[in-house]
Amino acid sequence: MQLLGVSTAVATIGAACRKPNEKIIPFVRRPEELTPGNALHFATGYALEGYTSGLLVESHEGHPTKVEGNPAHPETLGATTVAEQALILGLYDDDRAKQLRRGGTPIAWPTFLSEVKARSASLAGNGGAGLRFLTGPTASPLLADLRRRILERFPRAKFVSYSPVAADGAIEGTKLAFGRPLMPRHHLGAASVILSLDADFLNDGPEQTRLSREYSARREPSRDMNRLYVVEPAITVTGAMADHRLRLRGGDVSAFAAGLCAMLSGRGLSALGPVGSLGHGAGLWDSKWLVALAADLEKNRGRSLVIAGRRQPAVVHALAAALNSALGNVGATVEYGVPITTDAIAGVEPLRALVEEIAGGAVDTLVVTAENPAYGAPADFKFEQLLKRVPNVIYHSLYEDETAQSCNYLVPAAHPLESWGDGRATDGVVSIVQPLVAPLWGGKTEAEVLSAFVGDGEVGTHALLRKYWSSMSKLPGNLAGSFDGVWERWLADGIVPDTGASSEQGLTINAQALAQAAAPLLARQAGQTGQAGQGALEIAFAPDPKIFDGRFANNAWLQELPHPIIKLTWDNVAMLSQATADRLGIETGDILEVSSRDRKLEAPAMIVPGHADDALTLPLGYGRSHTGHVGLAVGFNAGELRASEAPWFDRGATVTNTGRHHRLAITQDHWTMSPDGRDIPPPAVEAPLAEVLNSGSMFYEELEARRGPLPEVFKPVDYASQQYKWGMAIDLNKCTGCNACVIACQSENNIPVVGKDNVWRGREMQWIRIDRYFSGSIDDPQMINQPLGCVQCETAPCEYVCPVNATVHSDEGLNEMVYNRCIGTRYCSNNCPYKVRRFNFLDYTGDISPARELGMNPDVTVRSRGVMEKCTYCVQRIERKRIATRIEGRTIADGELETACQQGCPTQAITFGSLNDATAKVTKLHSDPRRYDLLHELGTRPRTAYLARVRNPNPDLVKVD
Amino acid sequence: MAAPNLSRDPLEPLPLLEGKHTDKTINDSLLAHVWRGAGKGWWALFACALSALSLLVIAISWTLYKGIGVWGNNIPVGWAFGIINFVWWIGIGHAGTLISAILLLFQQKWRTSINRFAEAMTLFAVICALLFPLLHTGRPWFAAYWLMPYPSVQRIWPQFKSPLTWDVFAVSTYFTISLLFWYLGLVPDLAALRDSSKSKTKRMIYGLFAMGWRGSGRHWAEYKWAYLLLAGLSTPLVLSVHTIVSFDFAVSVLPGWHTTIFPPYFVAGAVFSGFAMVLTWMLPAREFLGLKHVVTLKHLDNMAKVLLVTGMMVTYGYVMEHFVAWYSGNPYEYSEFFRVRQHGPMAPIYWLMMFCNCIVPQLFWSRRARTNILVLWFASILINVGMWCERFTIVITSLHRGFIPSTWKSYSPTWVDVSLFIGTIGLFSTLFLLFLKFVPAVAVTEIKELRHELDHEPTAETAGVTH
Amino acid sequence: MSQVDAHEGSGFVARRFVLAEFATPEALLAGTHKVREAGYKKLDTHTPMPIHGLEAALGLGRPKIPLIVLCGAIAGACIAYSMIYFCNVIDFPINVGGRPLHGPPANIPITFELAILLAGGSSFFGFFTLAKLPQPYHPVFESEDFARCAVDAYFLSVELPPEGEADKVFAEVQTAGALSAELVTESER
Repeated sequence: MQLLGVSTAVATIGAACRKPNEKIIPFVRRPEELTPGNALHFATGYALEGYTSGLLVESHEGHPTKVEGNPAHPETLGATTVAEQALILGLYDDDRAKQLRRGGTPIAWPTFLSEVKARSASLAGNGGAGLRFLTGPTASPLLADLRRRILERFPRAKFVSYSPVAADGAIEGTKLAFGRPLMPRHHLGAASVILSLDADFLNDGPEQTRLSREYSARREPSRDMNRLYVVEPAITVTGAMADHRLRLRGGDVSAFAAGLCAMLSGRGLSALGPVGSLGHGAGLWDSKWLVALAADLEKNRGRSLVIAGRRQPAVVHALAAALNSALGNVGATVEYGVPITTDAIAGVEPLRALVEEIAGGAVDTLVVTAENPAYGAPADFKFEQLLKRVPNVIYHSLYEDETAQSCNYLVPAAHPLESWGDGRATDGVVSIVQPLVAPLWGGKTEAEVLSAFVGDGEVGTHALLRKYWSSMSKLPGNLAGSFDGVWERWLADGIVPDTGASSEQGLTINAQALAQAAAPLLARQAGQTGQAGQGALEIAFAPDPKIFDGRFANNAWLQELPHPIIKLTWDNVAMLSQATADRLGIETGDILEVSSRDRKLEAPAMIVPGHADDALTLPLGYGRSHTGHVGLAVGFNAGELRASEAPWFDRGATVTNTGRHHRLAITQDHWTMSPDGRDIPPPAVEAPLAEVLNSGSMFYEELEARRGPLPEVFKPVDYASQQYKWGMAIDLNKCTGCNACVIACQSENNIPVVGKDNVWRGREMQWIRIDRYFSGSIDDPQMINQPLGCVQCETAPCEYVCPVNATVHSDEGLNEMVYNRCIGTRYCSNNCPYKVRRFNFLDYTGDISPARELGMNPDVTVRSRGVMEKCTYCVQRIERKRIATRIEGRTIADGELETACQQGCPTQAITFGSLNDATAKVTKLHSDPRRYDLLHELGTRPRTAYLARVRNPNPDLVKVD
Repeated sequence: MAAPNLSRDPLEPLPLLEGKHTDKTINDSLLAHVWRGAGKGWWALFACALSALSLLVIAISWTLYKGIGVWGNNIPVGWAFGIINFVWWIGIGHAGTLISAILLLFQQKWRTSINRFAEAMTLFAVICALLFPLLHTGRPWFAAYWLMPYPSVQRIWPQFKSPLTWDVFAVSTYFTISLLFWYLGLVPDLAALRDSSKSKTKRMIYGLFAMGWRGSGRHWAEYKWAYLLLAGLSTPLVLSVHTIVSFDFAVSVLPGWHTTIFPPYFVAGAVFSGFAMVLTWMLPAREFLGLKHVVTLKHLDNMAKVLLVTGMMVTYGYVMEHFVAWYSGNPYEYSEFFRVRQHGPMAPIYWLMMFCNCIVPQLFWSRRARTNILVLWFASILINVGMWCERFTIVITSLHRGFIPSTWKSYSPTWVDVSLFIGTIGLFSTLFLLFLKFVPAVAVTEIKELRHELDHEPTAETAGVTH
Repeated sequence: MSQVDAHEGSGFVARRFVLAEFATPEALLAGTHKVREAGYKKLDTHTPMPIHGLEAALGLGRPKIPLIVLCGAIAGACIAYSMIYFCNVIDFPINVGGRPLHGPPANIPITFELAILLAGGSSFFGFFTLAKLPQPYHPVFESEDFARCAVDAYFLSVELPPEGEADKVFAEVQTAGALSAELVTESER
């Protein structure tokens, strides 16, 4: 019976899952039309926070199955973020809103259009005085054009952009510094010294993919290696990569920046002028640290960079801009350009205005296309109740979420992979977003909703898009030929040429004005963050590295993804430092009652190394009350404490320990490389640059013992005669631990999710995990990441213990799993020293929705209950490429075959290829002086080699010991 | 009841057979408990056993229905209760074979009174053990036959370098041989039952199993050899079986598993736990089945001595493990034995093991303890516990702290794990109670033989002294 | 009367035994010797337990079981080793953990176990074959007293030749020290 149900469901979905009617153009031109069994790749884009990144989506028989970065796109450069990788699961999410409804009654799209027509007719009467649009930040030219047309028709209507994680500070900061709102664009290629003021630029924000690449490119051990200073409250991916990290409460960063200005102008950086004389809170930080930093920055004028984070107030961004221009970095490592989002400001202030209007009853019709404002808006706005006071609320959303509960129209949104559209990246480059499938459940795009108000509702996004772009007086890239030809070219390439934004030239800091403007802001900041009262507890809100602001809460891949730092899954926690925890008598797992501004919530605590004292970090996005079944009631909603006056950092919170305990599903229970004090060779090796550059150093002595031949009992198998000898190299010096590889692998290899309880038991399934180790003191630790999948041992301990030959070696040295043959003794896993094997303890794949099945990679077996599985170097990709090259009568060239983890990696830390090819990159890396093998002493002869991490400490700051 | 015996002259050895007997009296006294109807006590025990057995059935069904995930196992602790119980039960089985086979080869006369008992125990223990190798796999329905070397459509054979494959052969051989050995020894007694049974149906049934045995001299001539050879084969077999079981661990690379001393010390441990289990069952049985005249204090005394010796062997095994871990200078080994086991989260079990297996047997230096029923009984139970803890320490404590600290995880059993363990005890007890009800618990024929030998030895009393 | 039997029916010749009971094993042993010396070869004894020296008294040759068992053991070892070799080296050679295809040490356990299994099996089944057991009916069961054979009675059975006279045998066993003796005749069924 159930089976029947599934099959029929599949039938319907299958019918729904078809190519869009409009013509979409494959990125790969040949074969021109779809050949069954062969995947096609389509260039498209994904807009997050208004900025569109270029993607390349693999599609099998019309089902998108895998997201990659578009190599041709200047911002993604072929890599991806976890969010982009996880789009596939979001697309096929069975919990998505599927029914267009008025109140509780389902209605058809035409009905909706006619009702909008009627309403807008009446609204047009008074110029749309009561009409308001609440949208997310966007840089879509089409949406901008629609807005223009709407405002033409309804002159008194208003558009408001809101995002709970908007980076307004940057815009307002540049306004302070340069007199007009600008947007910084950073370039790490030329940056030798980088100072991050609470900016997690490697793992957060629209530039993260490109910056990661540029950053890691400068990490090659040499005199030219860059140096990263990070000032932040809670350790982030960027903080973990820092050569020097200063833990500072978020509210104190402004004072630190002011202090740095003072220090630099004190050292004769005259350009700062009066800015240098702004006061600075003494004793907030290790002044030795500040001195060394100032010296370093000064030494590297024009080759340094100061980045301020999205959470920091305008004044910090202003000071950062001042520093950058004073240090002559503008134009070299940072450029400022006109904001490319339609509304540069998309934070609390615009929303406050709207809230007041609604409260005043001025709003009659509110069209919400923003991401779930009822959940994301500051708590004191009580936005959910306000919505109920608006007679007509039209909400366009992917889910029946919190906001949907108090709207009388819900328009199911089309998923980004189902939508036509356009957008711009941070550098302004335009991408045409083309759908991979027609909306599975008839979702509509934002453009369709907006166009309804100018009577274009039935036109459809594709037509609107073409109309808009073809109506341009001069096409960008002034290409020859018909618009159709140009259009197809744009779609195929995924970018529209010559659309990059230009940067402002000849910017100068008005130091006088800035100083005057900044002084009161600093004072206010100081007051608000209670600089005086050191004891005052600061609560800091942070976008979650997994589910961001909560929009990915229903994505099981991301929920089960281990947090890059604390390795937590299926939860969020209130992070705090050991010292603070001791002071408050708190232990990890205790449930705290955190109260601030007469609002309170309960949150489990976790002691996190390197966290600023007297501060509590509360990740946003959890504790959802209305969403799909995955994200429901996972974690706590930090937003309940978020005040519009202090959306990021707030002081004066009080914490009490309820004494109750919460069970956390953490995938790595231990912090260090020798939790019980065992004296073992460190799994993840690191060394300071000085040692790495000195070939005779201790560092190399130790490494020598961890590579090269070992005494053998029997003659090892000779792979030299094989055509390929697959191998991998992972550069710990490049890996930021961003997790992109983990989700990429999960998507490529149909890896199931197991849920919180199973993760707690230790049954997570991700084939590649990122081990995280802290070293040094728990207050001020250093962190190192080590991605670890199956290392494909040549003398694999797992193989000879399998009683049924279910795991054996291929001629090319792959350690292969024969799923059909496996009987699940788990002996192989017991005997695997790396513990990289994963076991289907229960039927994890049995109950996936028929929709989800469409997203499975048809090249990879879906494993059943009781079967062992593990990384196979993406053997399916190897075979596909082997077939393709055989047909062309050639061998696989180095670099044309990438594993999923390698392809997703923004920093190119992972290299894969044939070790029999002397010229291959992987072969070179295997003979790199920094190379070593994990557990080499066991004689497993792993095919995956590691390259030791290199730190580049400031000699002035190296502790003498 | 130990008191009167202690009142006798300590220099005078304890007798193997109490009192004077004729074949008839021996026959009747030893078969009495079979003919006697099941008493209240028996039924009470049987009820307990059955309820535990039903627990086993539930646990197994649930495991097969949901998957191995209903157990507490995880990565890295891929093996847990399943394998612990397997090794524990196999170990217990070994004493049976050892008592009947090795003691027979060494012509230990005192064996005859307890060997039938011990052999039965072997069979039932092995049956309990056999559940787990199959049940602990992810896909038992395949494991059931893919481990057998048969030409399959998959074109692939079992992997003969894997200790698990060795296990399959070892354990199945062990069960088969034990069964044959037990049955062969039973045939004459079945004939005795047939011939002394009152009712026709009983006569029929026992006659069926006796297979027309008529005590023919020509049969006895071959029989003695067949029996002796089976004993001779069982002896190396029993050593090999636990050696191979220990290979499951010793052949791996894991710290705490990768240990060359495992084979001998597993065998010693097996005998140790086996004799303990024999005592645990024998003491009540001899009390309630009226076997005191054949299972005399002499036997208990000897078995206690065996416990002492094997206990010392096991202790030696522990000492060597720790010594090698330290002496090898291997940091992983060292941490496993001196940090994880002694101070890790599972340390209490380690210390309990040390107490039960190393300290408790020291009691048996004293003859008073060796001949005191209560002391013996509680000690035997403690030793069973200790040996279970040993397997726990080897399997779980080693697994949950591997080479790479990032892989460290904890382990906690689920209700299914516990039910399975209790359930096997239920299965064992059920089989044992049935055995006591339908088959002579003591080898009647051999006792008759013993009696004649004793009668014809000048000093019958000293005959039993082990030589 | 035996002639009569011989000429009747289906040529079935009823075997006849003189079943003599002795008091003790020792008496049985002595008696058996006597009767045998008197020239009776088709002798057998029935005792509740094996009795030392009876083999000689009955004039039995060396037991065959040991040889059978030896063959079983050798067969088991050969089968096991050749099977392993065939499977892993000849029929389906595959790289398992970089180990050599033919690893003698790894073959020892299974070779040993199979040797034991077949040896044990041949010992057990070998015995029952030699003893022609199971055998639900035997003429000696005709005797009432024989019911005590497995309990505490010691019998000597002398099979009479077709024309043999039972009385002579009775006299013989009497002098050999039997307590009592009776003639049992195989019944046709």
